[in-house]
Amino acid sequence: MSAPDKPGASLAAKVTELEASARWIEALDRQSTIIMAIFARAGFEPIAPAVIQPADVFLDVIGEDLRARTYVFTDPEGAELCLRPDLTIPACRLYLARHGQDGAPARFAYNGVVFRYQPSGGSPARPREFRQAGIESFAAADPAKAEAEILALSVESVRAAGLRSFRVHVGDLGLFNALISGIDMPERWQARLRHYFWQPEAFREQLQRLVNGALAGRHLPPALVAAIAGGDEAKVISAIEQHLDEKGMVISGTRTLEEIAAHLTGLAHDRKIKPLAARAAELIESYLRIEAPAEAVPQHIKKLLKGSGIDLTPALSAYEERLKLASQEGIDISQAAFSAGFGRAFEYYTGFVFEILSPVVGDATPIGGGGRYDTLVKAISGSRSVPAVGAAIHTERLLLAVRGGRP
Amino acid sequence: MTDTIGNLILAVPSKGRLMEDTSALFARGGMTFRKTGNERGYRGEIAGFPGVEIAFVSASEIAQSLKSGKVHLGVTGEDLIRETIADADAHVDLLAPLGFGHADVIVAVPDFWIDVETTADLEEAAVLYRHHHGARLRVATKYTNLTRRFFAGHRYGKTQRAPVAVTMYRIVESHGATEGAPAAGTAELIVDITSTGSTLKANGLRILSDGVILKSEATLIASKSAVWSTAQKATQADIVQRLRAVFAKV
Repeated sequence: MSAPDKPGASLAAKVTELEASARWIEALDRQSTIIMAIFARAGFEPIAPAVIQPADVFLDVIGEDLRARTYVFTDPEGAELCLRPDLTIPACRLYLARHGQDGAPARFAYNGVVFRYQPSGGSPARPREFRQAGIESFAAADPAKAEAEILALSVESVRAAGLRSFRVHVGDLGLFNALISGIDMPERWQARLRHYFWQPEAFREQLQRLVNGALAGRHLPPALVAAIAGGDEAKVISAIEQHLDEKGMVISGTRTLEEIAAHLTGLAHDRKIKPLAARAAELIESYLRIEAPAEAVPQHIKKLLKGSGIDLTPALSAYEERLKLASQEGIDISQAAFSAGFGRAFEYYTGFVFEILSPVVGDATPIGGGGRYDTLVKAISGSRSVPAVGAAIHTERLLLAVRGGRP
Repeated sequence: MTDTIGNLILAVPSKGRLMEDTSALFARGGMTFRKTGNERGYRGEIAGFPGVEIAFVSASEIAQSLKSGKVHLGVTGEDLIRETIADADAHVDLLAPLGFGHADVIVAVPDFWIDVETTADLEEAAVLYRHHHGARLRVATKYTNLTRRFFAGHRYGKTQRAPVAVTMYRIVESHGATEGAPAAGTAELIVDITSTGSTLKANGLRILSDGVILKSEATLIASKSAVWSTAQKATQADIVQRLRAVFAKV
């Protein structure tokens, strides 16, 4: 039910659109030449991973949520593939292909198109295909130095592209992890809180469950509950077997009786030991609310922890070292905005995170960003753990911001 | 499906139980379907009710046709609407549930998973599974979108509290005999429709206590994308009123 075509008018509009898009692409090319030259001067080797990637790797690492924002498709042979939604995972795969054995340091730079599903085809600030210019540094000897360098190069790039007005927003999941490790509770609870960090609402609920000691009451017979509470693995397993027998339930599939026993024993243990101190939960909540200039953060945290007996010295030293190194690189981030909750949207980051924001395109659509992702390479390869840090610039947004919002 | 003479286009399932129930319900409202042209054709009209053209379409296609505005009205299951159209409420109006074609879309796990009663338990078990097996729990389903949205924490209708999201899973697409997937070893759990629960039971599966994703039934649905004339709007109101009268009599 489209409007009837007016051949003359629509042809003229089409030609104008094509010219505009050719000029836009030329401008993007000029911009990326400038950025890639900065990366190359810093010693990052240019790479060009394949546009079409196996969907499996992305789904395993990011999860099924990926399908809601990525073009996943099946090829004629039935293989599930995707148009790459970012270049970090392809860069990790390339690193593994080259250095999976020796784990040597490597530094890559790229400028290439990525694809993200956007409802109704997208908008200038959220195009469904755009070019990312980025850098990834694997197995660097000095982590704080690598982080400062990635941040400095990102900021230098957007400046060189002509961006005058922007802010830097930083966070540090390393501080959160250190805080959780420092609080007296079973390791299993710490793992649970770290797991739910990315879901603020579920996180709050977990925290309340730990404080109230109200871990789910279950529909199990008293004898089985007693055996589970006893905690002896062999006895728990035989009690479960007896229960399944009585109920006529059959064990099948890959999930084992041992896993079920371990899960139940863990839950029973949770109910026996003393709940998490309300003060500790309050401490975690207070930490997550911290919003302050980057340089004021250590003072805030020290004040918060006063009298708690929790020592965050190593994580705080790493934080301060990074600020110092960044300023030596010529980037003063002492006034950058720090939020303790920042990083909750990107599941693979593990430490320092940052984003570059422009008032022209708005805070919801960052010009660029990155951070430390120490567990990603291992999640992909299944074996080797390789510390890594990287960043990418959303080049369409950068150009849009440089031009004051006019595509 | 062009609309040259201003008819309202009503999409009706082209075969099976859903088609029979739809045509019986409309007949009770004084709207008897009649095929036009070839008896095996896919076009029809309502006897003595001008201004309506019936398109007999497969149930799964009806959702797409409503979304794109190719048809004005359609009868199909809410499950197919929610599965096919990402932002269903922006594209269609669910006018009236029709009282047949009941099916719940549910999350079911093997009965012997006595440690897993809720979606929160499922996420914990999934994290432990990942730790033991280095893989995510596999969910067999044809409802990939409903599954993904439910596990991401989306709920249809009101809920008591914020649901815990399930993240450590992978979808295995399954078209048919989904409830057999866990026993066959191609998935650990399933998302599927059930009406009585007996098939689940026979396959050693149990619905999670908070695992009902959607209570679905056949529904009369209007397209928001279709172009509506005043006359077509009036025809829609007439159809809805006649169906309401049927339910009022019950």
